[in-house]
Amino acid sequence: MRFVAIFEAVTKNWLRSRTGLFFSIMFPIMMLFIFGSIFGGSNYVPTMTAAFIMTNGVIGLTATNTEFKRRGIIRRLSITPLTKTDWIVGCILSQTLLNLLLTGIMIGIGWLAFDVRVIPDPLTILMIFVGSLLFSGIGMALSGSLKDVEAASAIGNVISYPMMFLSGVFIPLSIMPSTLQLVSKFVPLTYFSDGLKSAIITKSTGTTLYDMGIVATLAVVFITAGVLLTRWKEK
Amino acid sequence: MLDVQDLVKQYSDVQAVDGISFIVNEGEVFAFLGPNGAGKTTTVEILECLRPLTKGSAHVCGYDITKESEVKEIKKNIGVLPQNYNALDKLTVKENIELIAEMYDKHLKVEDVIKLLELEDKAMARFENLSGGLKQRVGIACALVSDPKLVFLDEPTTGLDPRARRDVWDVLTNLKKTGKTVFLTTHYMEEAQVLADRIAIINKGKIVAIGSPQELIDKYGGQKILVVRSAEKTLSDKLKAKFAQVTVISNGDVHIKIETTDELYRIMGFLTEMKAERDIEILTPTLEDVFLKITGSKISEEGEAK
Repeated sequence: MRFVAIFEAVTKNWLRSRTGLFFSIMFPIMMLFIFGSIFGGSNYVPTMTAAFIMTNGVIGLTATNTEFKRRGIIRRLSITPLTKTDWIVGCILSQTLLNLLLTGIMIGIGWLAFDVRVIPDPLTILMIFVGSLLFSGIGMALSGSLKDVEAASAIGNVISYPMMFLSGVFIPLSIMPSTLQLVSKFVPLTYFSDGLKSAIITKSTGTTLYDMGIVATLAVVFITAGVLLTRWKEK
Repeated sequence: MLDVQDLVKQYSDVQAVDGISFIVNEGEVFAFLGPNGAGKTTTVEILECLRPLTKGSAHVCGYDITKESEVKEIKKNIGVLPQNYNALDKLTVKENIELIAEMYDKHLKVEDVIKLLELEDKAMARFENLSGGLKQRVGIACALVSDPKLVFLDEPTTGLDPRARRDVWDVLTNLKKTGKTVFLTTHYMEEAQVLADRIAIINKGKIVAIGSPQELIDKYGGQKILVVRSAEKTLSDKLKAKFAQVTVISNGDVHIKIETTDELYRIMGFLTEMKAERDIEILTPTLEDVFLKITGSKISEEGEAK
């Protein structure tokens, strides 16, 4: 149960990092206001939530973990009986909590600003959880293979931004060229964003479960990669 | 407690540790003294199971570091202050120590460790707001909270100002009194001399000397030197005529190497007769002299060999 102690410590650490926390939450809200004002809020509540759960994992978690690595915090913990699986589970659970918090705030903003009246059901919460696992897994895999924080941020951005455009989060896929529509089928965020949209807006359980299956499979792949790439021993 | 035999660590083209062997006994403070790049941290990290060895063998608390099944036991039995220690910035001192404590099945009461390290006033302060010396004390608290049999302290005072360094020495002196076995690495001669029961001098991956500070000084430090400051020529001539191994330095100081205590008394008697006993000083060899004699170089404040 050492992962509980890691979850608690890492969560406290980011909750007290006011600037980081403020921008992790304010940026998605700002984007929701911009896109929701232009195109209407109903679609953007789930898709922006999905996009920022993705960036929290791929950019945020990668940068935080690389910084922990640079400062020797992971190395210090690795000398104790803590296993790297416990470390990874603790970090992913902490990230999931942040994402649930973000989802709550996005739904609240959607309700107040765009009259998108959504009450998250268990399927929505499960979708958020599975999506958090996937993108935190990508974050763990990236931070496991990178050494410096600057590279982590740069690579996180290079992966995230194309993913946001190619998954239909900002611009509907239907108006994109057929080649990009094909590429979108290989983008994990497409399935998470679609799944969340069908869970929250269209209430199509079949579509949600289909997307959730794909997201869950990818989550297993990336978390496994994270476990394999995170080094608990130097060369 | 620690048994290392013919330990080798080879990186692609660099032999970082070159066949070293030593034993650390229970209750002993053992120091690894050497300049940066000598192989100190690599050795410690191998013994902490952070790096694999290339050749040789090492047993920590009776467990073989090369056997994955025994690594778990080693981790339960050691406490570590790594080089450039850091913790979670936004957590308090107490929370950081608690985090490490929770990694072990059995540990000391966090409050007791905080008291031992005299951190009561800072227990609720965030790690990011502490001075360098206090951060090291938190690191030592984390190393001790599991009540380990063996404590590794890797360069515990590097980068600290002299006052903070002395504070950490006080903590380590108290730790020594508790009877813990301590493996300390340092490039500070004085630190090794003050804290260690035995010292291994390591240079370019090899142990070049091993023994208690006094044994090393007696064996390699050379003789004591009696210095007569600004001696008049008549006095220096008389000293040269009466005693062997007298050297007159350009500033007028006279250096006389002392072989035995009797000889020291004879010289002192002579200087009293000559009414020249006021401006004398006895230079005792230090570990710095030992290191210079053995390796032909000195260690700078920053830890570089020069």
